[in-house]
Order: sequence, then structure tokens, then C-alpha cells
Amino acid sequence: MILQQLINGIVIGSVYALIAMGATLVYGILKVLDIANAGAYAIGAYAGLFLYQATGSLPVAFLGAVLFTGLFGVLVQRVLYVPLLDKPPLVPLICSIGLFIFIQDLIRLLAGPHIRAFEAQLPFRGIELPYLSVNAIWIAIMATTAVLLVFLWYMLNRTKLGLAWKSTAQDLEIAKAMGVNVDRVVAFNFLLGYGFAAAAGIMIGMLYNSVFPTMGDMPAYKMLAIIVLGGLGNPLGTVVAGLLIGVVETLVAGYVGFFLPRDAIAFVVLIVILLVRPQGLLGQRT
Amino acid sequence: MRTTRYLAVLVLMFALTLLVAGCGGGGQDTAAEGPIKIGFFAPLTGPAAADGDSVFKAAQLAVAKINEQGGINGRQVELVHYDDGLDTKQAVSIAQKLTTKDNVVAVVSGSYSGTTRAAAPIYQEAGIPMISAYAVHPDITRAGDYIFRQSFVGLVQGKAAGKVAVEMLDARRISILHIDNDFGRTLATSFQEKAEELGAEIVSVDSFAFGEKEFTPVLAKIKQLNPDLLYMPAYAGEGAQIVRQAKDLNLDIQILGTEGIDSTLQFLGVAKEAAEGVIITTNLNRDSEREIVQDFIAEYEEQYGHKPDMVAASTYDAFMVLFHVIEQKGADPEAIRQGLAELKNFEAVTGVITGYNELGEVQKPVQVQIVRDGEFHYFGEITDPDIITPPNE
Repeated sequence: MILQQLINGIVIGSVYALIAMGATLVYGILKVLDIANAGAYAIGAYAGLFLYQATGSLPVAFLGAVLFTGLFGVLVQRVLYVPLLDKPPLVPLICSIGLFIFIQDLIRLLAGPHIRAFEAQLPFRGIELPYLSVNAIWIAIMATTAVLLVFLWYMLNRTKLGLAWKSTAQDLEIAKAMGVNVDRVVAFNFLLGYGFAAAAGIMIGMLYNSVFPTMGDMPAYKMLAIIVLGGLGNPLGTVVAGLLIGVVETLVAGYVGFFLPRDAIAFVVLIVILLVRPQGLLGQRT
Repeated sequence: MRTTRYLAVLVLMFALTLLVAGCGGGGQDTAAEGPIKIGFFAPLTGPAAADGDSVFKAAQLAVAKINEQGGINGRQVELVHYDDGLDTKQAVSIAQKLTTKDNVVAVVSGSYSGTTRAAAPIYQEAGIPMISAYAVHPDITRAGDYIFRQSFVGLVQGKAAGKVAVEMLDARRISILHIDNDFGRTLATSFQEKAEELGAEIVSVDSFAFGEKEFTPVLAKIKQLNPDLLYMPAYAGEGAQIVRQAKDLNLDIQILGTEGIDSTLQFLGVAKEAAEGVIITTNLNRDSEREIVQDFIAEYEEQYGHKPDMVAASTYDAFMVLFHVIEQKGADPEAIRQGLAELKNFEAVTGVITGYNELGEVQKPVQVQIVRDGEFHYFGEITDPDIITPPNE
């Protein structure tokens, strides 16, 4: 049973990591807490579902939805965040909350309030043992998350673009003065950030066979716990924090019971860890 | 200079308030003539928007139908509807609006327990009868004699489920997994009492928050306890995940649900094959041969393209009862209240309503339905008076 619970925790944790990665990337560069990233999660799920129904091909639906949502992210930063950058941080925060509510209600008006089933046929089968069952979607989620995270690591650490990202994250003005094309870095950042959220949305939609307008509610606040725990804007920290929270939640729910709502557990973990490490798991003391 | 400007703005705002208030007051004396106004509130947005959508469709269908037949005693019916967003504060301000500004003669709640419970005292205070279509919390009707309930109080349904589990399904060891709100707690407690009284053992009780999607941990725990039945008071969204994840874990036990998962789109549509064999207690018997049931199902499906669920049927019935009473007694709130209290053996979609008791609780049989081939079908009916008679206080 412990193995079953651990695997389950890792699956949930991988999705958390992806959900929070979008917001981490945005925070890393712009220092804006992007709540609307949870809206991108719902947009991605709907786009994936509609594309899958239209084409019948999962890879096409997945890549198409990620690209679509990523481009939506680029639009959002051009139209909303960049013009607000010189305002106090509260202004873009409120703007992102407004955008999040707008996205949810727009989806409800366009697609209706009902839960839609996202039934995807995977080309392989799950593992069935007497005391352990790992279904195909879990395997797909762990594999996809791993691929996306390795891709992100490679981008950030082994490419010129990654170097530009890091310098922009350290100091936007200086990077600009040094000749880094900051506008492009920021746009690319949103493309990735919203794309990651979309990927998480599609996978959660498939995992629970349900896509609905308010599906972004949970990630909207849980990603806050995860990115703070991971050390605000630190991609690796976000992965560790996502996995940690996924596993802790699952173990607590399995062995202690839902004595607290599952979502409260994330914040209890956050409080405990911040008491010991105020800078977050992998954050640097400044 | 500044003060003058503030003053000017203040005066302007005040004038605007008067203007708006004046517009609203215009309808005052048309109450005796013109259409009969019936108030309605439901969660059209927010986390319960799907149920809100279902009940709003049912309300519109009921009103359209009566108006097609020429209205009530020659007067058309007008639906004054609001969206409460599943927010108790919103439900309260809607109640204030409906009772003070809209001149409605009666109100139907198409909302959940929390919102309906918060609004009930306001309708009571204003002397406007309210029928709660499907909210189950006992406190709703306790607000007073103007408040009625169209579905079973939680206690009745929980007790009925206890009998279904132990006597019809022969369960001896039972696990309970309920949603942690008014609805889930009321059902779980009354179920447990009845099941234990009938000799079953409750081996575990777990609860989860509204909106929870991940049940594998708790189901893995339940699997180890090896019960022969899982009682699951949950809504469709969570219920669908529980039955799917139980299947993924090969947890091969009978699942007994409630009217909370009586939903074609939200439960059957998401759970698919995993829902096969699930049994629920509800108030809508789809296989009933009574004409009114088949007509309602056919009309609803023709109008909206999908089959109605329990919340839609209950809401439709609340309107039908109101129309009937208004026809008999006239469109006056006090007369409607009296008519509801005296109602006897009314033929409704959700069963024959024997009547409402002093508290305003409905008495009708509890339906037991089973999922076969992706649809709810008749499995049984609980008519024992000691179970379906609602409490009087």
C-alpha cells in the first residue's frame, strides 16, 4: 500500500510542479504573481479537449493546445503586463486576478457550465499487480512531466536563450543595457509559462476525465504555496516543492484521513518549512 | 475647491440613487393585475453552475408550459430569477430584493443548503412562501411556517439508504465516504444510525472537501478494510471520481450513492462504465409509467437535448405545486402558504406528494435507482412510513 500511495503522490506532485512552473517562470522574470496562469490551465484543458475531438490525435491535440495557450500568454504579457510593469506590484497582481475571473466566466459562457468528459485512448496499457495498480494515464503524466522538465532544464542551462533568461531574471535593466533582447526573453517566458500550465491542464483533464470552467480554482491558490515553498522564482525549487506537496498530501490523506481539506495540507507544509527555512526550499537568502 | 468637487459628486450620487430607486418603485401597484411574479434563485455561476443550469432550464420549462396553457386563471406567470453564485451573502441580498422590490408572491430555491438556509429567514420574515427544491439541510424549514421543502430532508434519505444497504443489499461491513458539508454530514449521520440499528457494522467514516478530485489514497485505505458496501453521499463531480478511482484500484464493492450524483451529464457522462451497478437513493423514478413523469422527461429532452436529472425534476415540481395552489387559492402570499400547508395527494414528477407536515417537510416515497447500460433504472422504492415520514420538529 505504501508503494501505491507513493506513486499516486508522485503523479499528483508532477502535475503540481507543472502547474506552478508557469507562475515561477513569470515571477522569476517580471516579479509578478501571475494568478491568471491558473486560467491558462483551464484554457489548455479546453483547447486540448476540442482539438482531440476534432482531430482524434492526442499528440496533435496536446502540442496544439500548448502552443495555442502559450501564444495566448504572449498576448497577455504584451497587452496587460508590460504596460503595467512600472506600476506598484499590487497593480499587475489585481490585474491577473481580474483576468483569471474573466477567463473562467468566458469559458463558462462559451462552453457551458457542465463537466465535459475527456476520454483519451492511450496507445499502451497500465500495470496491474495484485497490490499495485498504475494506470496508463499515470505513466503518461510522469513521463510527459519528466520530458518537459528536462527540456526546460536544457533550455535554461545549455542555450543562449537560457543565459538571456537568467540575466534578465537577475536584473532586467542591466540585461537590457548589456544588449539582451529583453522583450523577446519576456515573450518567450510567457510562451513557456502558459504552455506548461496548458500541459498540466490537459493531463489533469485526462486523469479525472473531466474538464470544467472552474477547474483553475485549485491551482490558483495551490501554485502560490508551491512557488513560495520552492523559493519564489526558482524552477528547480518548484519541482521539488510540487513533488513534496503531492506526496505529503497523499500520505496524510491515506494514513491520517482527510482531517483537513487536502488543500489545507499544502499550506501547513508551507508554514512548517518557512519556519525552518524562510527563503524556501532552494531559495537563496538575500 | 476640493470640497466643492466632493460635494458635487456626493449630490450627483445621491440624485442617481433616487432615480434608480424611483424606477424600481414604479411597479408597486401593478401587483394585483398583470403577470403573477414568482421568484427564483440558483447558482448559475461558480462551482455549482452545472446544477444551476439544470434547475434554471426546469424552471423556464415549467413557466413556459403554464403560460402556453393560458396561465393561471387567465394571468400569465413571470419568472423573476437571480444567480446566487453559491454565495450565501448573495442569496441573502437576492432574498431582500425579491421580497422588497420585485413583488413576487412566492419563491422557489433552486440552490444548495448553505444559500437556501441563509435566505429562508428573510422570506419567513417577509411572509413570502418559499419552496426549497432540493436542498436537504433540516434547518431550512425550521425558519418558519412559510418555508416548505420539495425533496426529502437529509434524515429521510439517510435512513432510507440505511435500509437499502442492510436489507436490500445485505451489507454487513460498511465504509462511509462523505462530502464535508451540510449535505454530506446530515446523510452520513442518519445513514450510520439506521444501518447500525439494522445490525450492520460501520468500519470507516471518511470525509472530503467540496471539489476534491483525488480519492486514491482514501480508497486504497478502504480497500484494505475489505467492507462489502461503500456509502457515498457526494455530488456528481466528486462522486464520478470516486467510482472511477475505485475501479482503477480494483475495489470491487457495491457503491451506494445519493441524489447528489443523480445527474446524467455530470455523473454518468464522466464516470461512464465505472458507474455501472452503482445504486442511488433519489426522488426521480425514470422508469415510472405515470404519464406526468414520461411527459416531463420527453419535454425536457426535446427542449434541451439531454435527459433531466433529480435537481431539474425537483425544481419543476416545486413550480407545479405552486401553480396548483395559486390556481386553487389565488395569487396572494398568505393564501399560497395556506394552500401549501393543506395540499393533499398531489401528483408530481418526483412521486405522489402525500402532503407537507407542520414543519413544511414533504412526504413521498424514496426511489432506489441502479445504473444499467449508462442510464438510471428502477431498483426499488422505500415506502415504509417510519422511514419516509419526515420529522415534525
